[in-house]
Amino acid sequence: MNSLLLPLAIFVPLIAGTILLAGRCVPTALAKGLAAFAFLFPAVSGILLWYGFDASATADGFNYVTTLPVGIKDLGIALTLGLNGLSAPLFAMAGIVGVAAGIQALSTEVEQPNRYLGLLLFMLSGLLGLFASMDAAFFYFFHEFAFLPTFILMLRWGGHGRYATAVFMAVFLTLGAMISLAGIIYLYNTTGATSFNILKLKEAAATLDATSQSSIFGFLLFGLGTLVSLFPFHSWAPEGYAVAPTPVSMLHAGVLKKFGLFGLIQIGAFILPEGLKAWAPWMLWLGLGNIVLLGLVTMVQRDLKLLVSWSSVAHMGACFLGIAAFASGKVTGLGGVAVMMFAHGLSVALLFVLTQAVFKRTGTFVMADMGGLATKAPVLAALFVAATMASVGLPGFANFWGELTIFASLAHLVKSQPWVLVAALTGIIISAIYGLRAAAAVFFGPESETVKAAPARDIAFGERLAAGVLLVALVAVGFVPSLVTKPVDAALEKFKTAAPAAIVEPAVTAANAE
Amino acid sequence: MTPETAFQTLLGAPLAAAAISALFFRRSRWGAPVLSLAAAGTILWVSLQLLLGWDGHEALHTSYTWFKLGDLEFKLGFLLDKTAAPMLFTVSFVAFFIHVFSIGYMDDDSARGRFFAGLSIFMFSIVGIVLADNLFMTFVFWELVGFSSYMLIAHYFDKDYAAAASKKAFITNRVGDLGFLLGILWCWSHYGTVDFQVLENAKLAGSGVPAAIGLLLMCGFIGKSAQFPLHVWLTDAMAGPTPVSALIHAATMVAAGVYLMVKLSVCGLFAPVALDVMLWSGAGLAALGGLCALGQTDIKKSLAYSTLSHLGFMGAAVGLGRPEIALLHMSMHAFFKATLFLCSGSVIHACHHEQDMTRMGGLLKKMPVTAAAFAISGLSICAFPYFAGWYSKDMILTAALVNGNYGAFALLAIAALGTALYIGRMFRLVFLGNANSDEAGHAHESNAWMTIPLVVLGIVFSLGAGWFLSGTHAAEGARMNGLFPASATEFLAHGYHELHHTAAEKGLVLPMLALGVIILVVGLGATLSFYKKTPGDDALRVKSPKLYAALERRWFDNAYDWYIANVQQRVAEFYAFFVDKFLLEGLTIRAIFAGIPAVGGILVRRFLFTGRMSDYAAFFVFGVILYFLYSVVL
Repeated sequence: MNSLLLPLAIFVPLIAGTILLAGRCVPTALAKGLAAFAFLFPAVSGILLWYGFDASATADGFNYVTTLPVGIKDLGIALTLGLNGLSAPLFAMAGIVGVAAGIQALSTEVEQPNRYLGLLLFMLSGLLGLFASMDAAFFYFFHEFAFLPTFILMLRWGGHGRYATAVFMAVFLTLGAMISLAGIIYLYNTTGATSFNILKLKEAAATLDATSQSSIFGFLLFGLGTLVSLFPFHSWAPEGYAVAPTPVSMLHAGVLKKFGLFGLIQIGAFILPEGLKAWAPWMLWLGLGNIVLLGLVTMVQRDLKLLVSWSSVAHMGACFLGIAAFASGKVTGLGGVAVMMFAHGLSVALLFVLTQAVFKRTGTFVMADMGGLATKAPVLAALFVAATMASVGLPGFANFWGELTIFASLAHLVKSQPWVLVAALTGIIISAIYGLRAAAAVFFGPESETVKAAPARDIAFGERLAAGVLLVALVAVGFVPSLVTKPVDAALEKFKTAAPAAIVEPAVTAANAE
Repeated sequence: MTPETAFQTLLGAPLAAAAISALFFRRSRWGAPVLSLAAAGTILWVSLQLLLGWDGHEALHTSYTWFKLGDLEFKLGFLLDKTAAPMLFTVSFVAFFIHVFSIGYMDDDSARGRFFAGLSIFMFSIVGIVLADNLFMTFVFWELVGFSSYMLIAHYFDKDYAAAASKKAFITNRVGDLGFLLGILWCWSHYGTVDFQVLENAKLAGSGVPAAIGLLLMCGFIGKSAQFPLHVWLTDAMAGPTPVSALIHAATMVAAGVYLMVKLSVCGLFAPVALDVMLWSGAGLAALGGLCALGQTDIKKSLAYSTLSHLGFMGAAVGLGRPEIALLHMSMHAFFKATLFLCSGSVIHACHHEQDMTRMGGLLKKMPVTAAAFAISGLSICAFPYFAGWYSKDMILTAALVNGNYGAFALLAIAALGTALYIGRMFRLVFLGNANSDEAGHAHESNAWMTIPLVVLGIVFSLGAGWFLSGTHAAEGARMNGLFPASATEFLAHGYHELHHTAAEKGLVLPMLALGVIILVVGLGATLSFYKKTPGDDALRVKSPKLYAALERRWFDNAYDWYIANVQQRVAEFYAFFVDKFLLEGLTIRAIFAGIPAVGGILVRRFLFTGRMSDYAAFFVFGVILYFLYSVVL
């Protein structure tokens, strides 16, 4: 039953999306009902699969493994779906952000709603697929599958300046994706693997020398890094998110972007540990670029949606630090990245929902024109402050655990490279500065002219529901971090015990032979 | 009740109250206050049960694993030991009465739900700090008290100054937290543990503790307790409602920094250098804060400077190697400073939110209970012999003398004189003379919600909280010792008697008593007569405007404002608009991207980027069909 649930979670939005795109004449009410079901289904299945996940059930740590008769057999490409400790919580996160984005989309009036919803469902299906795919080729395929609708949605329903921004972003991301694809193919060829299955790739790569590992990892780092908006390949991201319609920004900044990090861990760090070691200093310094330099850029933003977008880019820096820490054997770092990915996906989506809600009331994103909105919209203000606090890493929200564990994984640097740690920690100040400034500029102080003219409406039901879903998930993991860390830790344990086993085994046999 | 249940209740009750208030009682007039008061009452009752049933020796400890990632095992542990016990009693006792007071004070506020939910979150966080058994957990609750402080300072969010002050408090605290977290990580990496008991049992003192660990951990104290150079947020924080100033920004949260320093000092984490830094910065701030209090006419801001000064006293005590005396002063200070703030709240409430002392006057007859509470807690803070404050403050001066630190002793003596000066001035301006405004003229005594806490905290505890030190020891097996649970006095009494003994051997007890009385008489006498002369204005401002302006001027705030506007913001803008936007994105990346279509792009644009939605959709469908044909046929 459960192994059926995983492919169903991916195909239900795909099928629903196809119906909505093909059937222009489907009546709106029916279309909305169908879309609502298709948005909800993956979230519920994702949570069930996450809840039922048991790392100890299988030797390789993957649960719910199913192979579907799709792929290219000659090249060893097959659609194998399965979740391990790392992907199970992230799959659920994709579902939760998906349902929030769905609520947001369903409660917004747009032109051609059937197409809009259909494309969003396509996007969601791709996002779910990439976390569930055990096949590196399909992993890539699902990314592209999710990205195409993103591009079309931006072009058709985006905000001001959408053409230039969408094309710029598309070129950028396609380039990044192609470089990472080159890395995957390079890996496949050099190892002589007969399958793109990541477990097989890992087996085949065990004998790979450090030089080849390092050159393959280079492709992955810069290709996938571009997709995560690693400094200095970040230019596409902030405007891209700012221009996109809100549900798209939520899914893109929250979930799609995690593709790069997820790939860097599942394919990069797990399969090419020597390559990771070679590139770890780069990841450290570039990650600090995100935290410090892009943090400064975030600080001077005047447009609320751009500020949220930039902050999402700046927060990615910590993830690279965590992966880099893994090169020194600190599995805590990778675990922290997983928690951070989970938390950031939810919190940035939440901020986008609330930013849109602010826009609906004031008609502007310019913070200088706002002020004092909390009097008219107290619940919106409370939610926004909560979202800001989540994103600046206040305990009680999932983000705190991500940041703290990543910092803890770097603690060994305190004597050799204390400035790295200091720079990493400035993130907690910088994010507080721009986060609280934004909250104060929009909600506190006396009412501005714009706000006085705004209708006295607090947050609407749809917005409240979307925000509530995300906030509950953030707080749940904030109070019970083991929800995420338990499966992740199990995945890391599997990795740790699996890696030396290959080396230790012959020694043991030799000893027995004597 | 097992200790485990007690710990869970102590944290669970306020958290539940906050959550229920926030979700269901946002608009209700009585829901949130009642829940919040019930939670504070539960905390007080459970704490008393816990302390009265404990012998004060073997620490009560429970610990759970919160989560585990790789080699990081995060423990959620509760520890009631010799340092936590007095803190727990002080916090829960003072907090309960401030909750009672708040019900009276906030009776005309429309956002009571938010206010009381905030108080409950604060209680949850501070109890967490008191009972935390390791530094990581301390850090979790440390951040949460920062948040509740932010939320409560921003209570009047529609005022610009409240919005700015809340932001300033949170960000300044985060600056301190950077160092604090770095110190925690350093400690964890160096010793492999952040557990207080393990650290204490390791007997680190004297074994070459890296000075950096202590200095970095001290940053947490500097931020939270508003010590130099991060002291700037505390006076602004007075923008919050007065009960908040009493509870958070005087009695408990800012004192939590001192509590942490005491705990770490007991663990032996401070190298001599770190202790010296703490001593000198503490003593310096004590003297300076005491004098700056004379340059404020806002009653709450003047009291805020007094808090700064007294936190400096506590820091100096830790620096002198007397953590017991620091904690003793923290506890005594909590009673009399909370009272002083509550009195100011009672006065402000009676004068219709007038906070300027020069517009008050003559309230002695109109508000006798408030005036009496102010007088007693005022004498207590000035270290009137046998009043609560005398036991601790006098001992800090004695400690400086015993250690032979004459410089620090001089600074602390100036600070003590400062205390007498600003308390005398405050009493003169607010309670004596004639009313200087209509509001003050029509003032009348506050209701029982507000006067009962004044009597308990002000008249009873500001007077007698230290009496457990006068008897030699409580009778064996006694559950109470003076006004304190006996188990909460072990640590304090031990340190006090030890120092007292040393001082007696050196023949310092009587000279110190004499010095204290001289300071008190000179300070109070001088101000009571000096400030009589200029009703409706501040005498110092009239007589010596330059001196007054120098005291009033916010030197560091101005310097930081300048830095933020002219350095931080400009660097950020330069980087954002010139380096990132122009050089990186404009010249480099866009140039490369412009090159790609220029080479092969004309064809692409013609056939692929047609700009028509139907074409894109067709390409997409075509690709999907092609792929499925290929994969299914093969």
